[in-house]
Amino acid sequence: MNGRGADAGGGRAETLAERQAGLVAALTAGAPVPEGFDGRLVGVARVALLRKRAGDVAWQWPLLAAGHGAEWTGTFARWAARRPTNGSLRDGWDFARELGAALPALAGAELAAREAEWRYDGTSAPRRRRGPAVRRAGGVVAVQIAGRVRVLRRTPAAGRA
Amino acid sequence: MSTEYGVGIGWRPEIAGFVADLPGLRFAEVVAESVHPHGDLPPGLDELTGRGVAVVPHGIRLSLGGAEPVEPARVQHLAGVARRLGAPLVSEHIAFVRAGGVEAGHLLPVPRSREAVDAVVANVRRTQAELDVPIALEPIAAVFDWPDDEMDEGAFLTEILDRTGALLLLDVANVYANARNRGTAPAALLDRVPLERVAYVHVAGGAEHDGIYHDTHTDAVPEAVLALVAELSARHRPPALMLERDGDYPPAAALRAELDAIAQASGYPAVT
Repeated sequence: MNGRGADAGGGRAETLAERQAGLVAALTAGAPVPEGFDGRLVGVARVALLRKRAGDVAWQWPLLAAGHGAEWTGTFARWAARRPTNGSLRDGWDFARELGAALPALAGAELAAREAEWRYDGTSAPRRRRGPAVRRAGGVVAVQIAGRVRVLRRTPAAGRA
Repeated sequence: MSTEYGVGIGWRPEIAGFVADLPGLRFAEVVAESVHPHGDLPPGLDELTGRGVAVVPHGIRLSLGGAEPVEPARVQHLAGVARRLGAPLVSEHIAFVRAGGVEAGHLLPVPRSREAVDAVVANVRRTQAELDVPIALEPIAAVFDWPDDEMDEGAFLTEILDRTGALLLLDVANVYANARNRGTAPAALLDRVPLERVAYVHVAGGAEHDGIYHDTHTDAVPEAVLALVAELSARHRPPALMLERDGDYPPAAALRAELDAIAQASGYPAVT
């Protein structure tokens, strides 16, 4: 041990596991950059990671991303900056739910259809629903019966309420 | 890997049709985590194995460089996928992807220290114990280094390969990215690693953000990376080289041109 950045404070050298965890926390959860690292470069890596996550979520949730247009990467990256990934499917789902009324109309159908087809408790992997379901999101209603999903849009006048 | 496969491509669902139409293809790679070891193969992939194309599972979530032991279920999955595909080998990264129960979402560098070499070697051995075929290890492109690096990259990689008997998956785009970002000569690493241990080679494109070149796999392959393919092939031509593309897929003609450029730089026949 050369001691650089390896002291946990109590005189005990940090283990590799602890140091790796500290680095992951800095990259994914807004924790301070561990001592000894180039803060600028770790910051560059953090931003690149968020850009990659935004791209992965856009692949899983194309209408959620399209609904944000050119703002997608920046908007998602701000939301994700202190939230470690749970995989792009769940990340996009959590983000879409949190948007609530701010969910772009385009993304409403996508979210409502998934909510009708899958049961997702926000903490573990989504599971396909066994029974029928009706779910609303962004002014769109999705009806799922026997695994088939139909999306019902409100009339434009009603949707502008 | 003694067989010469020539030029291959990373199989992805989005380009399955394009890959299926490559008449000379003998080598492809698939993301191991996207294949079920017992269920049906993704549409198109079974046709490739059926016509004798070697398909290598490429793991991205094993975290061989993690201080914790690799998760047995992930190792079993990789071994199962290799059997399912009849693969001649598997590959994974010298990197860690999670720590303290948190997923990083990306491949992160391990320190080039004795302690980290020991951790990587232990995890590679745990993985090899479950595999029926050899494993090739891929060094990653790292945007930053650890403050406690004790070895240069060549010594670090050589020691891991020597102690595990693993093969090398050399990503020339990573070599280029690391050299460009550190201000060193890309070809210098070729003098420092055992080129006769190269199982195959990744070729990909990247882009510059914030003054740093990122190995994105979503951009065109730069001339400098093709030059490195030519340099490597002149010294010790690898048995296979493959194009890695993971998004922003260009028209088929552009992908064909990239495959042809790799063939030309390495001296292998075109597969298009």
